[in-house]
Amino acid sequence: MLGQEFRAGLSLPIKTPPRTKAGIIDLITEEAAITAAPGEELRVEMAVSEGALVAQGAPLARLRGHPQIAFVAPMAGRVASITLRPGHRLGEIVLFREADGGRFRHDRAAASSGRDEVAVRALMQQAGLWSALRSRPFGHMPRADEKPAAIFVMAVDTRPHAPDPSEALKGKEEAFARGLDALTGFTEGPVFVCQSRGANVLSDASNGRLRIVTTGERHPQGLAGFQIHAHFPAGLKAPVWDIHAEEVAALGALLASGHLPETRLVSIAGAALSESRLVRCQPGADLRGLSYGAVRPGNHILLSGSALDGHEARWLAPRDRQSTVLPRHGQRRRGHWFGAALSRAARPLPIIPTAALEQAFGAALPAAAMTRALASGDDETAVRLGALSLLEEDLALADYVTAAEPRLSTMLQGILARVAAEEG
Amino acid sequence: MIRGIWDRETVALLLLAAIMPMALTFLWFGGSGAIGRLALALIVAGLWHLIFMLARAQPPSFAGAIAALAVAMLVPEELGMLQLALGISFGSVMAELVFGGWGRNVVNPATVTLAFLGFSFPAAPWPELVLPIAWAAIPAALIGVGFGVMSGRIVGGAVLAGVFALAFGVEPGPVLPAAGVVLVLLVCDPVASAATGGGRWLNGLLYGGLVVLFMLAWKTAAPVQIAVSAALFSSLAAPLLDEAAIGLWLARRRRRHG
Repeated sequence: MLGQEFRAGLSLPIKTPPRTKAGIIDLITEEAAITAAPGEELRVEMAVSEGALVAQGAPLARLRGHPQIAFVAPMAGRVASITLRPGHRLGEIVLFREADGGRFRHDRAAASSGRDEVAVRALMQQAGLWSALRSRPFGHMPRADEKPAAIFVMAVDTRPHAPDPSEALKGKEEAFARGLDALTGFTEGPVFVCQSRGANVLSDASNGRLRIVTTGERHPQGLAGFQIHAHFPAGLKAPVWDIHAEEVAALGALLASGHLPETRLVSIAGAALSESRLVRCQPGADLRGLSYGAVRPGNHILLSGSALDGHEARWLAPRDRQSTVLPRHGQRRRGHWFGAALSRAARPLPIIPTAALEQAFGAALPAAAMTRALASGDDETAVRLGALSLLEEDLALADYVTAAEPRLSTMLQGILARVAAEEG
Repeated sequence: MIRGIWDRETVALLLLAAIMPMALTFLWFGGSGAIGRLALALIVAGLWHLIFMLARAQPPSFAGAIAALAVAMLVPEELGMLQLALGISFGSVMAELVFGGWGRNVVNPATVTLAFLGFSFPAAPWPELVLPIAWAAIPAALIGVGFGVMSGRIVGGAVLAGVFALAFGVEPGPVLPAAGVVLVLLVCDPVASAATGGGRWLNGLLYGGLVVLFMLAWKTAAPVQIAVSAALFSSLAAPLLDEAAIGLWLARRRRRHG
């Protein structure tokens, strides 16, 4: 039974060339931008204007309703352009690198012990670390005063060619422990640390509220959604947060020194590359800069995220730690109009319950019942089966496997939006 | 961003590939009569798929060929062409196409065709399956389960029921090969069977149990008739079994997570 749980999931044949011999490269791109995560609406008030010189970690914009939550500069540089969409919604704030901007030091005096929850919360919000947290149901940045029922620290990532979080934590063990300690102050519930077998991110749960979850190697076991579904389902009254382990280490470093770490570990992979890379770059890095010199000749697509759940983008999205470069196939041969009409008339296309479908859901829930509930817009059943713990990215594998049309992840988004609207 | 291959037609083609051993054995031993029946079933089912494509914009599916093959193998003998065409039309239209095509149906169209013909023409004798077809069902099930298009749990449940019956001294006789062939051809259809783990075990057990029950209590029935009737009932019960399995799963989760 236990063995079966570890074996659940799929290993995917997604091609990428071998990694460079150089190991992990430090690569700060000349341009970087802060953007909103796909699907997230952030109404902001600008704190700087175009042309201003900013330090790394200095606030660029603040949330309109909650000015204590800031979005900070990913590197020292000059504000090149600010794009806001209607309603003051954050589009992108682009920076050009200028090393003499320096580093911004946040006032950590009140929070440095890590014990005072209110001070830690305020520090995270003003230092731009708040957006590293993600709250379920609905998957947005938590409200300023939200109390989670549990927190999941993801020290595992099974997405194809994702960087290994335990690699990112090497040398930062102390900061990670400090951050984890501060994180436990946010909740009265448990804090789960998910790690893969053999990775000793955390060996003993000395703190009584820390729980270690060991996951298997196959996708989607390393996604926060399925771990939350298995160990502490999120509910409307009991939000569950998840955060990447590297961001926990960043919190620890912030508490210790007042400085935000300058880089994160990012992997660049994909079939259109001549070599895969593992780099340390700033958040919001320019994807073209990251893959520069490693792309094969020809048309290609740059994705922020993995080949499964990535979005075509220019900048690394806020919570993403990988970029995928895929060849862009010339104009898809247009099928016959009759075939197109037939397949459009049959949407949503029926999905046959096979073993592949079940494994795409990590064998964690009744997959056929879930896909049926999603396709028919049966919100109640989907919620009963655990839709509130899941997000778009969790169904990306099922979308890939079944070639569902319309995508299951899109339909899940619709259900979550309806539930959110009902809740007001 | 990238798309996989496990859409409806891939599954249908894999199922078709899985039952190929049985189909070839059937054609080898059945001779021209078998080929004629198969051709007729394919033509009638294909015609209805064509009509529904033109009138209702439903994409035709290779699953129609699987149903036609099952009908050709299991249909009662000595039926005229008109009667056969009528039965295949009824099964294909009423059990599959009016629901929107394969993938949305409740019961396997071949099961409905066979039950319809069996009830309508009770005087027509059911076929005697030659033993090699039953042997060919084993590789067919292995291929299907290996590709994940058939459920190992359903097969396991049915085998378990058979083993129980044997342990209690039930003599299987000629019902065993017929039950095996029907298990692979009709009961293991991923659409018309249960779709949850527990539900699939129950589905297999129910099918095996019904076969044993009919064998013991329904003395006048032919082996294929017993198996087809059991397949029809277990297929009708599949949604109920799924509901039970999901209810159980939810209750377990509620107990664990509150």
